[in-house]
Amino acid sequence: MTTSTAQPTPVDPDPRSRKQVPHNVRTSRKAAWIFAPSLLVSFLFVYVFIGITAYISLSNWKIGTSPNMSLRQPLGATYGELVQEQRFQADIRNVVVFTVIFLLLAILGGLVAALFIHHVAAGKGLFRTVFLLPYALSFIVTGVAWRWIFAPSTGVNEILRNMGIQNPPGWTTDPTILGALNDPSGTDFLKVQLGIPVALLPIIFAAAWQLVGFAMAMYLAGLASIPEEHLEAANVDGANIWQRLRYIVLPQLWPSTITCFVLLLHVALKIFDLVVAMSGSGPGFVTDVPGIYIYNYLTSRYDKASAMAIILLLLTLVVIVPYLVRGYRKERKA
Amino acid sequence: MRAPSKLKISLAVTAAASLIAVTGCSANQPSESSASGGSDKLEITSWWTSGSEADALNVLIDGVKAAKPGLSVDNAAVSGGGGANARQALAARLQAGSPPDSWQVHPAGQLKSYVDGGQVADLTELWTQNNWASQMPKDVAAAQQVNGKYYTVPIGVHRGNVLWTNPAVLAKANVKIDPAAGVDGLIASLKQVQASGATPVCLGDKDIFASAELLESVIMSRTGADNWKKLFTNEYSFDAPEVKQALADYKTILSLANKDHSAITWDEAAKKMANGACAVNLMGDWAYGELVNGGKNPGKDFTWVTFPGKEDIFDYVGDGFSIPANNIPHADAANAWLKTLMDPKIQTEFAAKKGSIPALKSADISGLSEYQKEAAKSFASAEVVSSLAHAQAAGAEFAQTYADAVSTFNGSGNIDAFIASMTQAQKTQL
Repeated sequence: MTTSTAQPTPVDPDPRSRKQVPHNVRTSRKAAWIFAPSLLVSFLFVYVFIGITAYISLSNWKIGTSPNMSLRQPLGATYGELVQEQRFQADIRNVVVFTVIFLLLAILGGLVAALFIHHVAAGKGLFRTVFLLPYALSFIVTGVAWRWIFAPSTGVNEILRNMGIQNPPGWTTDPTILGALNDPSGTDFLKVQLGIPVALLPIIFAAAWQLVGFAMAMYLAGLASIPEEHLEAANVDGANIWQRLRYIVLPQLWPSTITCFVLLLHVALKIFDLVVAMSGSGPGFVTDVPGIYIYNYLTSRYDKASAMAIILLLLTLVVIVPYLVRGYRKERKA
Repeated sequence: MRAPSKLKISLAVTAAASLIAVTGCSANQPSESSASGGSDKLEITSWWTSGSEADALNVLIDGVKAAKPGLSVDNAAVSGGGGANARQALAARLQAGSPPDSWQVHPAGQLKSYVDGGQVADLTELWTQNNWASQMPKDVAAAQQVNGKYYTVPIGVHRGNVLWTNPAVLAKANVKIDPAAGVDGLIASLKQVQASGATPVCLGDKDIFASAELLESVIMSRTGADNWKKLFTNEYSFDAPEVKQALADYKTILSLANKDHSAITWDEAAKKMANGACAVNLMGDWAYGELVNGGKNPGKDFTWVTFPGKEDIFDYVGDGFSIPANNIPHADAANAWLKTLMDPKIQTEFAAKKGSIPALKSADISGLSEYQKEAAKSFASAEVVSSLAHAQAAGAEFAQTYADAVSTFNGSGNIDAFIASMTQAQKTQL
C-alpha cells in the first residue's frame, strides 16, 4: 500500500496538478458551508420533529392543548392500545387495499394513455392536456364533485335507474367487504373483516382518475427517450406490434415505472382530503384512512394521533427504503 | 479572496439567524403590546357558519359593537363536523400561544378539557359581580363550572333529543307519534309508516355526531335520566340490559332509515324530512332554525315531539363562550363581549335566530316561536342531562371513543363489540 502510493509522486513533474488538489478540497469545503444551512434546517424540521413525534407517541400527552411529556408506563402502551382498535385495523386494511388498487389503476392507465398519445399522431397536445388537467386540481375540489356523482339517491344512480336498474349500488355508503377472509366476533383481537371494502372503490377510482395524467407524463418522457433505431431494427427483424411493446418498449420504460410507483405511493399512503370530501369515515370505518384517524384524535389523544403518524411513516419507509438503497447502489457503481 | 468569502458567508449566516430571531420575537409582540393599550379589535372563533347560525352570531357581533362603538370584530368561524373542525383550528392556535379573544365551547365535559389544559380564564369574579347564577336554572349554572369555578358564559340552550316529523307523511300512514308510548311505541309507529310505502326515518351521518345523537336519545330513553348521568361516573355500566335493549332498538331504527345516510349531512337529512322524503328525523333543535331558514313552515311542513321515552328528558347541548387564560390579545373587548352575551335582550334576539332558548330566566321568551316556548317550558320541568355526542357529558377522549364505537356499530351492528369498547372506556377514560 505505502509503496504504491509513494511511487507516483516523484513521476509527476507538473506543478499545476499539485495546485489542483487543494483547490478541490477548497471547493468541497465551500460546498459544505453552502449546504450547511439547508442541511441544518432539514435536519431540524424533518428528523428532529420525527423524533419528537415518536417521543410524544410514548408519552402521556392526551389533550392536544396541554402538553405532558412524561413517559407512559409500560413503555409503548399506546401502540398496544392502538393495534387492538377496530378503527385502527380497518384503517390499515383500507390503506393497503387503497394503495395496491390505486397504483395498479393509475400506472396501467397512465401507460395506456401515454402509448395512445405517443403513437396516435392526431391531437397529441389536446389529449395530453385532457389527461393532465385533473392533476392540476385540488383533491377537495374533485372530491366534492365525485361525492355528488356517487351520491346514492342522485348522481350516477339517477342514470342507472333511468336505464331500468332497480337497485343501483350504494357506492361509498355500502359497508360490504368483498372477498372477506374472516368473520370476526367483534371481541377477539382481529375486529375487522379482511377483504376489499366496496365503499373504497369509488374513492380509489376518483384518485386514479386524478393521477393518471401524472403517470402518463412520466411515461411520455420515458417513451421519448427510446431510440427510434431500436424500434426500426425490430421492425426489420419482423417483430409485430405486441413483440415490440413486450421486448423493446416496456423494458425501457422500467425506470419510469419505478419512479411513478414511488411518487404515487406517497399519494396513496397520505390520502386524506379526497376521502374527507367524498365520504368521511363511512359506516364501520369502511372508508377511513390513517390521515383521518390522526386528525380526529389530535385534540383528545395527542399521543395516539402521534403513534398513528409514526406507523404511517413506517408504512412509507417499508417501501421507500429499498428504493433508496437501490438508487444508492447504482450511484456507487456509476 | 479566501478570508473575505468566509467572512461573507459567516456574516450571511449570522444575518439569517438574527432575522429568524427577530421575526420569532415580533410574532409575539402584537399580543403583548395591544393587551395593555388599544382594544378596538375583537376576534372570536365558533362553528356557526350555516345560514341560521351565522345570522344568530351576527346578533351577538352587532350587540358588542353597540356596547363598544368603534370596535371591529373579526369573525373567525370554521365550518363542519359539528364543531370538530373549528376545535382543531383552535387547538393549533392555543398550542402556538396565539389564541383568539374568545371562542365557542360546550359546557361541562368539553369545558373541562380546556380547564385541565389551563387554557381558559377563571370568570368566577365576573359571575359573582353580575349575579348571573341566580338568573338561570341550577343545572345550567352548574354546567358552566369546573371544580366550583366558572369558566364560561352560556348564550343559549339547545335540546338534542327532538324528533322532527313530517305531518303529511305521518297522516298518510295514519300514524301519530306519542312521546308517552316509549321507544317500543315509536318503533311500532315507524314500522307502520314503512308499511304505507314511505321511508320512516331520515338520517344524515356523514358527520357521525348525528348517529351518536340518535343512539344517545334511545339509550337515555331506555335507562332514564339518572342512570344516563351515572354512565359517566362509572356507577352504571354500558353492559346494563337497558343499554343492550337500546342498541337493539337503534339497530332497528337504522334499518328503517334511508340507506344513503352515511353520504348526507345532518341538515340535508332534516330538509329531506321536511320535503316529505321520510316521516321523522332526530336532530337537535338547531334543525328548527335551519328548516325555517330554508323556507319551511313550522307546524305545517314539519312538527316535533320529544324523543319518546319513559320520562321527559331534556338532552342539554349548551353554547357558550370562554376567553383565554394567557396571551389574550384584547382583554377589554373580550370582557365587553362576555357582558353582551349575558344581556337578556341579546339572548332573546339570539334565540330567535338560532332556534335555541335563552339561558337567562330574565330573558323574554314571549316573542319566540311556538317550538321555543314549548322547549323553554320543558326545560324548566324536565330532567336535564348533558349530551355525550357533543362531548358535554364526558371529556373529549371518552366522547371520541363513543363516536368511534357508533361508527363501528353502524357498519357491523355488533352489540357485544360496542359494549366491550364502551365498558373498557368507562374503566380507563373517566
